[in-house]
Amino acid sequence: MIWSKRGISVSIDALRAIQSLLPDAEIVQSDAPADDSYGGAYGEAPCIAAAECVEGRTLRAHRVVGEPEVRFAGFLDGIQRARIECHRNGVPIVEGRVAAAIRVRVNRRFTTWGHRIPIVSRRLYMPLVFLQCEGRTEIDGFDIVDTSYDDRTKALVSRHPGALRAVAFERVGRDRDEAERNLAELWCSAGDAEPLFIDGGISGSGRVASASCAVGVIKSHQTLFADGDALEVVMSLRRGERSSVFAPPSTRRHSVISWYLRLRDPRGHDAMFGLVRIEASVGGDVASRANEISRWVLAEAAPLSLPDSRWDRMAYGIRDCEQFLRAIA
Amino acid sequence: MTQALGRVVATERKPNTPHEFHFWTALDSPVGIGTIVRVDGRRPVNGQIPRVYGIVTEGFSYTDLVTPLHDVMSHDGAPESAGFASAERAEIRLYSAAVLRQIPEEPLQPVPMGDVFLALEEDVNIALRMDGYLRDGSNTGIPIGVYRAGGTDATIFLDADFLVGPEAAHLNITGVSGLATKTSAVEWLLSSLFAHFPDSRGSIAAVCFNVKGPDLCFLDLPGKLDDGDRALYDKMGVPARPFENVHYYAPYAARGYALNTLRSNEALAHNVTPLTWGLREVLQYAEVLLNRDDIDAKADALIDFITRSVIDQSFTDPMLSRAHVVQSFADLEDWFRDVLRGLENGNKESWRTHHVATIRKVRNRLSNISVRCAGLVTDSGPVSDLPFGEFEDRATYVVDVANLEEDAQDLIFARVVSKLREHLERRDLGVKHVVVFVDELNKYAPGDGPDTYVRKMLLDIAERGRYLGLVLFSAQQFRSQGHKRVVGNSGTSVFGRMDPDELAAPGYAVLSPATRTKLATLEKGQLMIRHPHFTQPIFVRYPSPAVMAGRLGAEQFPQGGEVSLDVAVYRSLRARDSSVTLQAVEDAIGLHDEGDVLRALAVTLKERPSDVLGVFRARLPKRITQSVQARPQVAALRGGRGDDPYGAAR
Repeated sequence: MIWSKRGISVSIDALRAIQSLLPDAEIVQSDAPADDSYGGAYGEAPCIAAAECVEGRTLRAHRVVGEPEVRFAGFLDGIQRARIECHRNGVPIVEGRVAAAIRVRVNRRFTTWGHRIPIVSRRLYMPLVFLQCEGRTEIDGFDIVDTSYDDRTKALVSRHPGALRAVAFERVGRDRDEAERNLAELWCSAGDAEPLFIDGGISGSGRVASASCAVGVIKSHQTLFADGDALEVVMSLRRGERSSVFAPPSTRRHSVISWYLRLRDPRGHDAMFGLVRIEASVGGDVASRANEISRWVLAEAAPLSLPDSRWDRMAYGIRDCEQFLRAIA
Repeated sequence: MTQALGRVVATERKPNTPHEFHFWTALDSPVGIGTIVRVDGRRPVNGQIPRVYGIVTEGFSYTDLVTPLHDVMSHDGAPESAGFASAERAEIRLYSAAVLRQIPEEPLQPVPMGDVFLALEEDVNIALRMDGYLRDGSNTGIPIGVYRAGGTDATIFLDADFLVGPEAAHLNITGVSGLATKTSAVEWLLSSLFAHFPDSRGSIAAVCFNVKGPDLCFLDLPGKLDDGDRALYDKMGVPARPFENVHYYAPYAARGYALNTLRSNEALAHNVTPLTWGLREVLQYAEVLLNRDDIDAKADALIDFITRSVIDQSFTDPMLSRAHVVQSFADLEDWFRDVLRGLENGNKESWRTHHVATIRKVRNRLSNISVRCAGLVTDSGPVSDLPFGEFEDRATYVVDVANLEEDAQDLIFARVVSKLREHLERRDLGVKHVVVFVDELNKYAPGDGPDTYVRKMLLDIAERGRYLGLVLFSAQQFRSQGHKRVVGNSGTSVFGRMDPDELAAPGYAVLSPATRTKLATLEKGQLMIRHPHFTQPIFVRYPSPAVMAGRLGAEQFPQGGEVSLDVAVYRSLRARDSSVTLQAVEDAIGLHDEGDVLRALAVTLKERPSDVLGVFRARLPKRITQSVQARPQVAALRGGRGDDPYGAAR
């Protein structure tokens, strides 16, 4: 990778690969649309969803009992980078990079889990139909992901460059989800796996969702699982308080239990300040499990993840993981 | 193959250059300031994988914090809670290293990316270019200390050709007082030099001026060494024992017959020789004792005339009342009086082109030399000097000037060093190389102040001595205040613990802040070395000298008190022959006057006969034996009455 004068990264090898197939493709050197902040729910609009309360009949605030306890042994996170490298007659060709890793804590310092090579992939996301090169799966060592069709409807995507770009970026995000899922399943497959702090939900994988060691911590709240009075309870949580445990709707995902937890004092801040939603596997005494896991998560409130803008909700282990992945991917 | 301990990194803001590179290590790596590392490049240059050797000059540590405030917030402003945090922040150890050597040396390129290894002993040899002078058959290495880092123990050698000459020469030591840096380092280095100086380079001796306290007064007595010191001696192949062949020289005290040295204990008198000079020895260096105003052309001409035409020969002149044979200051005073009397009687203003005022001035200046340098300069006594022409290989000659006045010290420096130079020029000193150790260079060759004879002489050694085999080992507390040419001509520089104020001087700007900090905090037994073969300064450890420390020696062997002439002679002779008794010496001296006794003693000591007392007796002037003869009996002219005390009654 080299950097243009404007600070834009250009992958020479990727461009060469594309031009070997499409010599007339035009290189994009300007500030092409890029996406470095995929949150796992690309294009999702803010919404409120009802959830079944499984700890009591109504959602209420609970003081987390006991001192914070450092129990998480590993932290899992992934990153993605997607950028339009060139286009042919307006059809965008996106290079996507995906990486995921687990960082384990040894003597209070982080190192890569088992000294394994983290999952890192580089692919070209191309609507092959519109580029008249259907059937290609690889160019010069780059895997090609065909973004001509919508995954869910299997219909041909609109020729609109914006729509093609959105599909490509979403596909990059899904690849990242998959990389994270693979790593989480690998961790959970160990018989005596220690608690794993996963950045994001765990309901996407049946094996992870059912593993008692996996704890998902969601920082973004595009969907709030609290309605009416329950929403007021969640928004009013004070530092060290959690909501009652509820079961998020599982139409497309695996069943888990969930609750909200306030990590930091929200006074003087946004209502979501320091608020995370935790997902854990179903089973056992939900109240005591929620209390125990909340103590684990509260223990990760220090050190702060500054200078990251999400420092109020981000565990330092996750920040370390992101830094690591940015360094290698 | 050892494990890599770091990786080279370079950024646009901190790029690598041909002379500097950066690398990071694990937090627990044994790298520190002064550590020597090796970089193995990845891509060959001209068919050879580049290897770069460097020495760590700076270290950085930082975390992912943008501002310290973030850490305060992390722990709610309570430092004690930091220990309970679930994790520690990501932290880096980043080091900068100065390049010692690149292989291949051409083309000289910026240091490549690569793995960083701790330098092993063979790496150290290559990095410091010691492989060039440690070859079998032409080994000229002189151990100066041991470089230690991680598990590496490597002996650091100086090149004798660059320490003693002829390629480069001289050594300068800087360090604060009181930490036994300067004296200890010189004692150690002389031991090493004597043990390792290659036979092919000839013989070597050392002349040390003891300028303060008892520092160098016990070089022939064993000191206290711990196991660590002995291990260092073994590692470097230097015998852990005191100097074997040491000769001490000290003038007498201004009054009396005791030597003016802290090594005056009777138990140590066997190798202490008086240092006394007469008129001839002093007059040659009179300008040392005369200030600039005195040494005008006229005075210089008169002194030259006296030296050439008056001293040690029968001098006659119509104006003088008698012939003079001037051999002592007393004789010279008589000569001056005669000359001035002649001028006054003849009502003349000049004699042999010398004006009466000049004669009076020179007389005044010269005649009080024996007073100003009492104990060293004898008015009419014997001369006892260093054995110029008979210097022994690996011998140390210590001249104790610690208790002398400044004039006497200057005179001793000037004369001894000048004599050494003269003999080395003539190749008849007895050894091929002489190391002269001068402490307190700030005093004798300061950067500012008057241009004294001693300073000129030291400058001359520094600039030309290496061609003669005359090597200057100098030491001072403030290198920046020493004469630049004396200090700058030292091929090898040694630094002990330094004063921070001294390190702020511009001359130390070439050192990194970390290196300067390390210099300011060096522990005892550590030195920083600069040598022509080393492209960067190297930190080494050296053992305590195997000789008795001056302070300890002064406690164990207290200074002898004032003694009578008989006892002084007895001690001197007994040092040569243990069978000599005080009674025998007293009998021999009898009523001889002091001058005769001292002259006989000096001759005896110089001849080193087997029958010491016999020769001493023989050298004393013969005295006419007083024979008491019976008064001849004279017959009374006339008889008288025995009871008449006034004679016979008439």
